[in-house]
Amino acid sequence: MKRDHQEISGSGSKPAESSSIKGKLWEEDPDAGGMDDELLAVLGYKVRSSDMADVAQKLEMLEKVMGTAQEDGISQLGDTVHFNPSDLSGWVQNLLIEFNGPTTTPDPNFNDDSEYDLRAIPGVAAYPPVKSDPGLENTRKRAKTESSSSSSSTTTRPVVLIDSQEAGVRLVHTLMACAEAVQQDNLKLADALVKHIGLLASSQTGAMRKVATYFAEALARRIYRIFPPDSLDPSYNDKLQIPFYETCPYLKFAHFTANQAILEAFSMASRVHVIDFGLKQGMQWPALMQALALRPGGPPAFRLTGIGPPQPDNTDALQQVGWKLAQLAERIGIEFEFRGFVANSLADLEPEMLDIRPPEIEVVAVNAVFELHPLLARPGGIEKVVSSIKAMKPKIVTVVEQEANHNGPVFLDRFTEALHYYSTLFDSLEGSGVAPASQDLAMSELYLGRQICNVVACEGMDRVERHEPLTQWRTRIETAGFSPVHLGSNAYKQASMLLALFASGDGYRVEENNGCLMLGWHTRPLIATSAWRLAGTESGSELTQELS
Amino acid sequence: MVQNHHCEDHETVGENKEKRPKFFINDHVDILIEILKRLDGRSLCVAASVCRLWCTIARNDSLWENLCFRHVSPPSSSVRSVVLALGGYKRLYTGCVRPVRSRLGRMRKASWSRDEVQLSLSLFCVDYYERLGGSNSSGRLVGESSPSSLMFLCKPVNI
Repeated sequence: MKRDHQEISGSGSKPAESSSIKGKLWEEDPDAGGMDDELLAVLGYKVRSSDMADVAQKLEMLEKVMGTAQEDGISQLGDTVHFNPSDLSGWVQNLLIEFNGPTTTPDPNFNDDSEYDLRAIPGVAAYPPVKSDPGLENTRKRAKTESSSSSSSTTTRPVVLIDSQEAGVRLVHTLMACAEAVQQDNLKLADALVKHIGLLASSQTGAMRKVATYFAEALARRIYRIFPPDSLDPSYNDKLQIPFYETCPYLKFAHFTANQAILEAFSMASRVHVIDFGLKQGMQWPALMQALALRPGGPPAFRLTGIGPPQPDNTDALQQVGWKLAQLAERIGIEFEFRGFVANSLADLEPEMLDIRPPEIEVVAVNAVFELHPLLARPGGIEKVVSSIKAMKPKIVTVVEQEANHNGPVFLDRFTEALHYYSTLFDSLEGSGVAPASQDLAMSELYLGRQICNVVACEGMDRVERHEPLTQWRTRIETAGFSPVHLGSNAYKQASMLLALFASGDGYRVEENNGCLMLGWHTRPLIATSAWRLAGTESGSELTQELS
Repeated sequence: MVQNHHCEDHETVGENKEKRPKFFINDHVDILIEILKRLDGRSLCVAASVCRLWCTIARNDSLWENLCFRHVSPPSSSVRSVVLALGGYKRLYTGCVRPVRSRLGRMRKASWSRDEVQLSLSLFCVDYYERLGGSNSSGRLVGESSPSSLMFLCKPVNI
């Protein structure tokens, strides 16, 4: 989100002083200082346009600090005299040092792409919950009365504020305050704050507005204990994943990188079996089948077992997908076999049901894209599934998961993490060049919105979006008896190329992390692909590495 | 008088011209194909609008095959059957290879030409699968041109 430096409130604040200074300024060569900002120049401040970003940041930080300071009763700030009009930046910096002194200093590398970079907020939520409502009113009023300033008792000299970002910062503060209230079980307060969020959100545009709206709704559901009726319907989620697949590269990245690992594991096999823990629309498999078809030495016989949730209207969605894949396979000349299994949860699966053939005859791959984290909601779920996987004796297991910690024990921590994560995701959706009003974009946002709702509003077995970061999955999978398989340079290359194809390829980043690949938006990794094999077995790629 | 002489001269000149064989490229389709084979995609499309014969020739898939694999070592024979099964080289080129090449142009490394084609083939296959129809899209009517995952390739890139 870019700052709009042109909007300044309070510009009409001191007509008497500015007119005299204005007279002087207009006689000078406006470019003498090297592009001074015109609007601030009118007020008597000589600030270079290039410094504006810095000044704006500092002003914003100052404003936040002033907000807390006011409640602590430090009122002499208002009497500070501004001695050197041209050094606005330095003055603000001094003030900040005065305040922040021994405690947290603002991060000098504060490079703000999104307003809701929560690392910028020093300490906890800026409004202590006890004083919230009056506090809110006061600070809002204080900021807005800068324009009619000289009568205000708190300042003798008006401070120039950049108005457009103020509401955004307020919004984040209010969201955090509301979550804290929920955490402390202060539901009355939380209720009042949630309504505020609605108001503030309506003043925003774009990604911030949508994220705030979804989080506000989720908080409201949590407060009033109204849970979404179809939150447990996974088949609806599957349908929503299609537009998500099409509007942004996350799923494509997941599929292509996982396919690359599977392809390499299948390199010498003549019969292969893929077990897909979440078949959905089968979008991952055409690319793999095409690569197998063009394999030097000819394609193997390809068997696919797809697992999916029960459909509400009792249609056999799995068979329909299988049929489409069979048509494709016939076109490109691959021997294909499909079997679908309906299961409410992966933990209900028994490996014997899947007709696993011995490894000498058929090589097995297990694929789980966003399918493992829901198992953490049931005690014993993940352990059961992991032991099932081991019983299938796969040559490779590919796992793709969200790179976020939405499964901590403390609600407020989860809320903060989720706010940051989904804000970044929505930012990337907005920046991806998809037409703003398209149905696909709306559906993708709904897909993410339902996840937000689940993370914030639900608890216990209902809370299935239990995302955990790669480090935690690594520990869990390794202790269960698997060794990592490094995703090679081919996967990295393909992923990079895939991302370069998207209009905002500049925003997406592929990172390699100990053999796993992560896709992120700017500096924040969002999803991670990893590959595993049973510990104690040798993988083909490792063999070739040893030989070469 | 003088004019008449001139006319006669013209006539004789004209007659001489008619006696020399004229060269119409359209009579030599094999040469035409060789020339068209070396054109780039845009020129090939332009050539297709010259006349009916050129249009027919330009539709010939082998011309587009050359275009796809121009800077790459010749692919294995299995590629052709797969590509033809999925819709042909012209579709592969216009739908996948050209946008992929132009988008990746700024990051072009020599070794990536092969990978570009590979990626194009994969995306081509995904596109075919999506077009297979059936109840794959939620709420989309059959016959309505449903945006596929290749739509992002067709969007103009804002530079």
